[in-house]
Amino acid sequence: MPKTAGLPPGTLILLILRVVQPGPLHGYAIAQRIRQLSSDQLSVEEGSLYPALQKALANGWLRADWATSDTGRQVRNYRVTTKGLKQLETEQDDYQRMADAIAAILEST
Amino acid sequence: MTTWLRRIWHLLNRSRRERELVREMNEHRESMHDPSRFGDTHRLLEYSRDAWGWNWLDDALQDLRLGVRGLMRAPAFAITGVLILAFGIGLNLTLYQMASVGLLRPPALKDPETLARFRRMAPNSSTTTIPYPITQVVAEDRSVLTAVFVEAFAGVVWGKDLVHIPALFVSPNWFSELGATPSAGRLFAEGIDTATSEPVAVVSHQFWRTQLAADPGAVGRTIDVNRKPVTVIGVSSREFTGTDLNQPHIWLVINQREHIFPDSPLLRDWNSDGVDMYGRFTQGTSPAAVRERMRALMAALHEERPDAVPADEWLEPAMATVNFMDPGDRRGIVTALSILGALTTLVLVVAATNVGNLVLSRASGRSRELGVRVALGAKRSRIVRQLMIETLPLAILGAALGVMLARWASATIAAVGGMPESVSFAPDWSTIAISLMLSVVTLLVIGAVPAWRVARQELIAAIKDGGQQISINLDRARLRRFMMGAQVCGSCLVLVLAAMMTRTLQRVLSNDLGFEYERAAILQPGLGRYGYDDERSIAYWNTVKSRVDQHPEVAALSIALAPPLGGRISETHFNDAPRLEVISNHVEPAFFTTMEIPVLLGRTFGPGDDPNASVIISRTLALAMYGSPDVVGRGFPRSEPTATIIGVVGDAHSIRIESAYTSELYRPLRNEDYVDAILIARSRGDAATLAPVLREAAATDSRILPGVNLLRDSFQSRVTGTRIASAIAVSTGLLTLLIACLGIFGVVSYGATLRVKEFGIHIALGAEASSVVRLVVRQIVWPVAIGMTLGVAAAGPIGMALTGGPIQLQVADPAAYAGALLLFVTSAVFAALAPAIRVITSDPVHALRHS
Repeated sequence: MPKTAGLPPGTLILLILRVVQPGPLHGYAIAQRIRQLSSDQLSVEEGSLYPALQKALANGWLRADWATSDTGRQVRNYRVTTKGLKQLETEQDDYQRMADAIAAILEST
Repeated sequence: MTTWLRRIWHLLNRSRRERELVREMNEHRESMHDPSRFGDTHRLLEYSRDAWGWNWLDDALQDLRLGVRGLMRAPAFAITGVLILAFGIGLNLTLYQMASVGLLRPPALKDPETLARFRRMAPNSSTTTIPYPITQVVAEDRSVLTAVFVEAFAGVVWGKDLVHIPALFVSPNWFSELGATPSAGRLFAEGIDTATSEPVAVVSHQFWRTQLAADPGAVGRTIDVNRKPVTVIGVSSREFTGTDLNQPHIWLVINQREHIFPDSPLLRDWNSDGVDMYGRFTQGTSPAAVRERMRALMAALHEERPDAVPADEWLEPAMATVNFMDPGDRRGIVTALSILGALTTLVLVVAATNVGNLVLSRASGRSRELGVRVALGAKRSRIVRQLMIETLPLAILGAALGVMLARWASATIAAVGGMPESVSFAPDWSTIAISLMLSVVTLLVIGAVPAWRVARQELIAAIKDGGQQISINLDRARLRRFMMGAQVCGSCLVLVLAAMMTRTLQRVLSNDLGFEYERAAILQPGLGRYGYDDERSIAYWNTVKSRVDQHPEVAALSIALAPPLGGRISETHFNDAPRLEVISNHVEPAFFTTMEIPVLLGRTFGPGDDPNASVIISRTLALAMYGSPDVVGRGFPRSEPTATIIGVVGDAHSIRIESAYTSELYRPLRNEDYVDAILIARSRGDAATLAPVLREAAATDSRILPGVNLLRDSFQSRVTGTRIASAIAVSTGLLTLLIACLGIFGVVSYGATLRVKEFGIHIALGAEASSVVRLVVRQIVWPVAIGMTLGVAAAGPIGMALTGGPIQLQVADPAAYAGALLLFVTSAVFAALAPAIRVITSDPVHALRHS
């Protein structure tokens, strides 16, 4: 897996799943949404999105369908599956636990 | 859809999926303000592939391609390797198939677990056949057997041309009890095919195809059997084997036997040879219970008919699940087969080791290439995997060719050995499983071991010195020497055994059977089938003898009970000579002259000799029982004499030719022997001239359709089995020798190539040619010597264990050892010296400049 600068390891998939949860998006749109929602704080090498998407496809968390975009171009839309929702939940919980733990340590002293 | 299915689906559509992905990534890139922030598409594609988990397959395919390319560049290596492996695997499969068809697979009969053949047993003897009236008494007793059925082999003549064909007379319930189905018409049935109904026959599928021209209207046709009309009611199925591999061409109903052989007493005679008896156990009855019931039945019969049934007899069941074999016999055969199996496995290991050595040689020559791979970050496991996958094509091709070889070899052996068509050698699941197993073993030996060995070396160092040090290390490696030692050991062992077999065959073939068979012929009229009694038989034989005797071609003739080289064997063990099987025959005085068996001491029989009180014994029996051949006038047998020895004759193996531990015993012909007797005649010139003479003389009774055969033909057919075994052994021996020599050659020559610089320096510094040769060859001397010693030492015990099974071997045969060793040493020396001589004749300066 490529190193994603500025992202904690393993969180890319979590972000992707979360971003496509409301509705299907294509690759470019996913990258845009992540940047937007993080207020440009999370800068990733955008291409590294694709290996992560392939991993999600291979595990059956996402499904992809070709469609025509608003600009009239052929794009592939990713939508989350039931299995993906379950995975999102788990990853969210895991992340939350880890963040809380780190926060607890930082807030000590 | 599970994850695995999804992944496989992806693999199947991979090129399309990847094209789509690239397109998608390109679209994304083009939409960006700063496309450089996207990253390298190629690298990202590689990572995406990783996500689907198929990279290992790509690597494997790549290694395989590399391996195939490497093999194509070295066709000599590839062909040698494949052939060696094919031979090793093929040999194992052939043995397995022969064994499984002949012994291990129960016959394809209905419910073999409740089916048994019965032998007639007495405390000191046993016979395979049982008089028909006894079988009928057993059949009436329903306490342990639900059905009893019998079969009796007989030669009949068929058609207007009077062609001799084998026939089997069977009970009407024979087919149904064996679970046979016809391919046309119907089979015999109880209550329909009775003694009084119209005579019927079932013909074999083979007979129908070859002799009846596959006539679709064959069923219902009337054919002549022994010049009597018989209606064909059915054709057996192609796959039906019957109770053993001796398949008849035609089945006849035993109750109708007198239609074919009028006045034959077989069905009424309590003392005749009888028939083979089979029985179907009632559900849940054990063989022990059946045996006890049979003992009781025979005891009751003894009370009723003491003349026909002696006391203490019983009928011993042998189950169909073990191919109707006596457990002791079967154990012997299975032991012999296991040893043969171990030997052929050894041959395979030798073969695989050899290919492994070749692979190792090639791999060590490639240490620089492998060093570069390690330097670029390849793990050792990756190197081992690469080397193993490269040998995969060799193993696969070898296995495929081996399966073909085994099919061909089994079919050839079956055809030469006269097995019926119904025997199928088509590979079944067990054959395929075994060949797969063999291939895996092979792959491990030829791939994994050398690969592991190479990968353990300091491969990176190889880049610095061009692989010199590693080559030297590998060349001297213990493993390599061990592999070569193992193959020398295996091939020596096989070679010695092959030599033993050949020598045994030679002994059988060379005329030390102790009698003359080239110019003799036998007349077998089978008088019993025509209702002859003792008196009429004697009269018949007197007429026939005088007619034969008048012919100028006939040099000598004699009547005897058991035909030489024939099937009828009656053997006894005497407590005074426990190791010897004694085969007895009843003969006329002229027998010894006719057979050219020398009378060593005493005399032959005379008219005044009491048939029950005079015997002539052969030399070996005299030596074994009395310790001296000078025994004329002494009582026989030694401890409880019932007869007097009137003569000692030379050792003849007239009845059973293969066995080394048999001896013969002769008694005068009794009046009751004439019914079953045969006539032996010896010609002055070619034995073939005797056949019409004997036939014509036998026709003194026009009903008789005699069997006439030349002893040299019977001899040839008797040695076929030994001949085949010996041919297989010799070709196996020579092939393993070839393999071992190839191995030695390969090891020495590769060692020489790898150390060419070192030898070049030696030669440049003026070393003697002989010392360089020593240097080249030195590394293999010990492994070869130790391997040879072990192989030869193992040959004795293994040969001993093989003897006593179906194969006869004379183990203590110095000539076999000497011949095999001489052959091996000569070949080994040539194999080792050839590359060594190449080293000393080459230009050392050239070698130094180019390495």
